[in-house]
Amino acid sequence: MNRRRRLCSIAGTLWLFAAASGAAPSDEGDEQALLADADYAAGLSALKANDPASALRRFQAALKRFPEAADLHNELGYTSRKLGRLDQAFGHYKRALAIDPRHRGAHEYIGEAYLMTGDVASAEKHLAALRSICTLPCEEMRDLQAAIDAHRRGTPPR
Amino acid sequence: MRSIPLAVTAAFSLLLAVPAAAHDAEEGTGQLGKVAFANSCDAKVQKELQRAVAMLHSFWYSAGEKAFRHVLEDDPNCTVAQWGIASLLMNNPLAGQGASPKAAETASAAIEQGRRSGAKTERERDYLEAVAAYYADFGSRSERARQLSRSQAYEALAAKYPQDDEAQIFNALYLAGTQSQADQTYAAYLKAAAILEKQFAKYPDHPGVAHYLIHSYDAPPIANQGMAAARKYSAIAPDAPHALHMPSHIFTRVGAWQDSVALNRRSADVAKKDGGSSMGDAYHAADYMVYALLQLGRDQEARRVLDEFKSPEGAGLPQSFAGPYAAVAMPARIAFERGDWDAATQLPVLGTAFPHTEAITTFARALGAARKGDIAAAEKDALRLEAQQKALTESKNNYWATEVEIQRIATAAWIAKAKGQPDEALRLMRAAADLEDRNEKHIVTPGRLIPARELLGEMLLDLKQPAAALKEFEQSQVREPNRLRGYAGAATAAAAAGDADKARLHYAKLIELTRDADTPLPDIARAKTYLAAK
Repeated sequence: MNRRRRLCSIAGTLWLFAAASGAAPSDEGDEQALLADADYAAGLSALKANDPASALRRFQAALKRFPEAADLHNELGYTSRKLGRLDQAFGHYKRALAIDPRHRGAHEYIGEAYLMTGDVASAEKHLAALRSICTLPCEEMRDLQAAIDAHRRGTPPR
Repeated sequence: MRSIPLAVTAAFSLLLAVPAAAHDAEEGTGQLGKVAFANSCDAKVQKELQRAVAMLHSFWYSAGEKAFRHVLEDDPNCTVAQWGIASLLMNNPLAGQGASPKAAETASAAIEQGRRSGAKTERERDYLEAVAAYYADFGSRSERARQLSRSQAYEALAAKYPQDDEAQIFNALYLAGTQSQADQTYAAYLKAAAILEKQFAKYPDHPGVAHYLIHSYDAPPIANQGMAAARKYSAIAPDAPHALHMPSHIFTRVGAWQDSVALNRRSADVAKKDGGSSMGDAYHAADYMVYALLQLGRDQEARRVLDEFKSPEGAGLPQSFAGPYAAVAMPARIAFERGDWDAATQLPVLGTAFPHTEAITTFARALGAARKGDIAAAEKDALRLEAQQKALTESKNNYWATEVEIQRIATAAWIAKAKGQPDEALRLMRAAADLEDRNEKHIVTPGRLIPARELLGEMLLDLKQPAAALKEFEQSQVREPNRLRGYAGAATAAAAAGDADKARLHYAKLIELTRDADTPLPDIARAKTYLAAK
């Protein structure tokens, strides 16, 4: 999984689109505003610094302002997973997918969470969803496929 | 002073502590339409104040703010002027961009000043608080949340003052500003249009009413309903650059290219004369003009416009989003509309600040290479396109991420075709066309570089499936009517499929469309030959 690389990449593009997002349709605003949110940004930084406890606090603070942000639920899912709270992780991933059924990251990460519980069939369902969502092969699909393959080989998930 | 609309002044004499004064906005220099915004400001500022409100109705930001500030010099306690400044600083409420943080600071200061100076009427205080609803807690709220607050505040204002037609008009505008791109029933637009149609009957010369009607019908299936307002608006406010351009949004939707060219020429000239921040409007009008000229076969004229707005390596481009978009799109359109794939592969990278405008060039180069059969070059640009799409996704610019995803898929489709994989090519091209149908065109552009469904038609034609190709060309014409390339493709497909009637129909439309062409295009020659032979 290339989660750390993705986190760096997201943080690196925060500055760019604060200034250069251009005109966006009416319903674009929430996701972009989340990127500009101080708690969300601090949560991402805490995750990069391998401090999931701090990340959880900051993401939960951001959740009060952005209760319907799929990305935020996805990050909360990952953070909960890092803290060993799998039930909460599943709750957030499912919420992310209820808000945005085509959320590629949430499909990948919930699939990987299922692998942690040994539920390969459910992971495969999310891989199938990614195959349908990504018309062209996408990073999330490749990563979940690799995680399933590794699980089958008995290699522990990264 | 011209006559004051009686209905308006009669209504407000009941509402205002101080008798209202209203003026036609076209007094003074320049014609901006008839506005009668009742207010309690000093008599000596009335002329300028009404002009400023008219500028607000035509989104003339720089001139409007200057006019409102001029009013304040003569009447520092004119609350309506402070409201007007805050309103202008929200930017185009239909584009979703919203106020910049700096503009929000300026607007909040104006609102505070308006509160301190103490409006003479409750109605004026209510207007000020309605615009304040947008700026409240500005930094920690999304633009979408601000739009909804603004719409709710103006809805309440309109309900509180049912006789105040300006309140009804602004309510409709900000309601239209909540239209979601995902809602293809256009619920907010149509609700706004219903309010505005009543006002249009009452005030046929009001700049805001005609203007907002155009915005409220700016979607393919409802665009025809906006033709009356589109035909009227430029005559109402011929000195406002936006009034000269905005009707062309409807003209583009319905394929009225001559009208689009004529208005955008005037709009570009006025915006260029205005200079400064209006240069973005000039480029925007030029892009709409080039698109329309290409549909008419007036390629030489389109190239002259391109030369007029040429920006080598992006130098001197306006900072606003519309300027760079137009600068990148215009040369790509000229290449694509004529299938000049060599030219597409040679397009220079302008290095604008916007990944989705840069992606236009990347897509053009990639598709051009793929269609020439240069797989290596196409794959190289496809990788760049993937990186640009990823940057947009990670920055949550979801709308443009989807647009670039469509370009990526279309590129992959033509690469697959070049590799001799027709089934995969068609699967991908169909997916691109379907995805594009679900994503509305953005108002910054007259149209995508080329409709994905037209590309699907062209691919089917290449793959010797003319009947299927004809179906796709005709489906594309529903959303993108009266396009030269669309007629040419449909006619070629129909002829190849043995449907002579349809071939004649589409070729005849092509001939009619290009009757004033200034370039001897092969498609026109083919159409003439076919029609003469049958």
